[in-house]
Amino acid sequence: MMIDVNAYLGHFAFRRLRHNTADSLLTLMDARKIDKAVVSSAAAITYRNAQAGNEEVAEETKGHRDRLIPFAVINPFYAGWQDDLKTCREEFGMRGLRLYPKWHNYSLSDPCCRELIAAATERGMVISIPMRVEDNRQRSWLLNIPDVPLAEIVELVKAHPDARFLLLNGLGYTSSPLGRKNNGLPANYAIELSRLSAVLANELGQLIANLGVERLLFGTGMPFSYPDPALVKLEVLDASESDKEKIRSQNAATWLRL
Amino acid sequence: MTTPQTTWSSQGPQAGISRRAILRNSAAAALGAAVLPSVGDTASVSGGPLPKGKVIDCHAHLTHHSRATWEADDRKLIDAADKLGIDQLCCSILTPKRPSTAAGFRECNQWLAEAIRRFPGRVLGYCYVNPGCGPEAVDEVRRCVEERGFIGVKLYNEHLCTEPVVFPIVELAIELGVPILHHAGHSHYFVEDQPHMSDGGHLAELARRYPEAMLICAHISGGGDWEWTVKAARHAPNLMLDTSGSVTDAGTVEMAVRVAGVERVVFGCDSSMTAGVGKVRGASLSASDKEKILGGNITRLLGRRKA
Repeated sequence: MMIDVNAYLGHFAFRRLRHNTADSLLTLMDARKIDKAVVSSAAAITYRNAQAGNEEVAEETKGHRDRLIPFAVINPFYAGWQDDLKTCREEFGMRGLRLYPKWHNYSLSDPCCRELIAAATERGMVISIPMRVEDNRQRSWLLNIPDVPLAEIVELVKAHPDARFLLLNGLGYTSSPLGRKNNGLPANYAIELSRLSAVLANELGQLIANLGVERLLFGTGMPFSYPDPALVKLEVLDASESDKEKIRSQNAATWLRL
Repeated sequence: MTTPQTTWSSQGPQAGISRRAILRNSAAAALGAAVLPSVGDTASVSGGPLPKGKVIDCHAHLTHHSRATWEADDRKLIDAADKLGIDQLCCSILTPKRPSTAAGFRECNQWLAEAIRRFPGRVLGYCYVNPGCGPEAVDEVRRCVEERGFIGVKLYNEHLCTEPVVFPIVELAIELGVPILHHAGHSHYFVEDQPHMSDGGHLAELARRYPEAMLICAHISGGGDWEWTVKAARHAPNLMLDTSGSVTDAGTVEMAVRVAGVERVVFGCDSSMTAGVGKVRGASLSASDKEKILGGNITRLLGRRKA
């Protein structure tokens, strides 16, 4: 069993994506033996009204809910987010959120973001935060969106000890309290591996040693990224087969309450 | 907490899993890709034999000796190559601060020559110079290629590659029959800390000026807008595209092949090891195309050496 906690559907504003429909993504998943994937709207990253992207994903994943697990993109500064959250959870059956504080121009410490996280947590939803969408060096001339600083995540997890956070598309955790042993932070966050090293600096191995294997999740970033680099990381990771199995699927099943 | 690993000595792989294991998965990935709809790609994959030739990372670095852990770091690179099925690494050592002085690049190249002896058959050497050092740079390239067996030249960002100060290095590389791996990147903003960084367009211009030169545009996956870079390189047949870099955007390798032709795409990691291997493994290309990218193309280039 393999569960990818970091996948997407739909169009991205600045680059053509392949395998961005449900059928095509599932075909790619079959080819890579990935059983399930958490998906959210790539278009909602740049839509002003992110709910339109959630509606597209809800429609696209119909009939594939056994394999595609839709998450909602919510902008807590946009009118009607409370209604959108309710619709996404109750009508669309979305089990979690993807937040884009830099793309949607708000701070994770803003009161309305805190309100969103509290409301989602109350509904049993997990909150995932991509640290980046793409490498900033290749950004369009139209914008300059920084990565989410890990220091802001540290404050977030402290402020919401009851919430569950999945940190996607990040690295450098071992240089932050987030990746250190006995860091005094609540154990309410898990880290996805798509940008972590598994050789040389081997941040993945360090995180297993510091936080415990239960805090690491498999993810690919597809269809933005090839799924294969993440698969290769697991193959070469110096870890027991039982630990790898936890990373492949068991941890995700626990964190997602599947 | 152990995974079967291959250890390497001068006699070759010693034990454990075959270093081909990861690339066998590459062929499996190619077979899997056969059923994928080719969205925006010309590639169709019908499977085929496993990659047979050498796997050569055309863009690798060993560690400057000012770093206390350099010896262990170098060993880790070789260990990573073992795990990932990479037979040889084309390495350079760069000075930590640039522009490099002549003494600075000579020291780097001396250490690299020692590493080539320390890891026989695994490490191939690029001679790193700052072209701004004039005759001292030219002399260093000749010495490293003719006397030390280096396989090419590494140029970084001290000068735009289209500046005349670079031309004597290019002309010497042509004389010696060795490639030049040139640092490059194209962002849609001014990169303040690299004011003289070349991009694919500069390298294409240099390639047209010197059609006999063998130029490699470094890290299309770590140098900004890779779609721009690939398109800029299109009409320069003697400019190769190195797949290295930390960016793993799906479709990069396929676009490079579609636009430049498979013969012009060479596999590299630039220290992003799993990204480098994963991109080629995941590309919707035939096994024979992957074989060219993974080692066939760079082997062809290295075979043109005259010295």
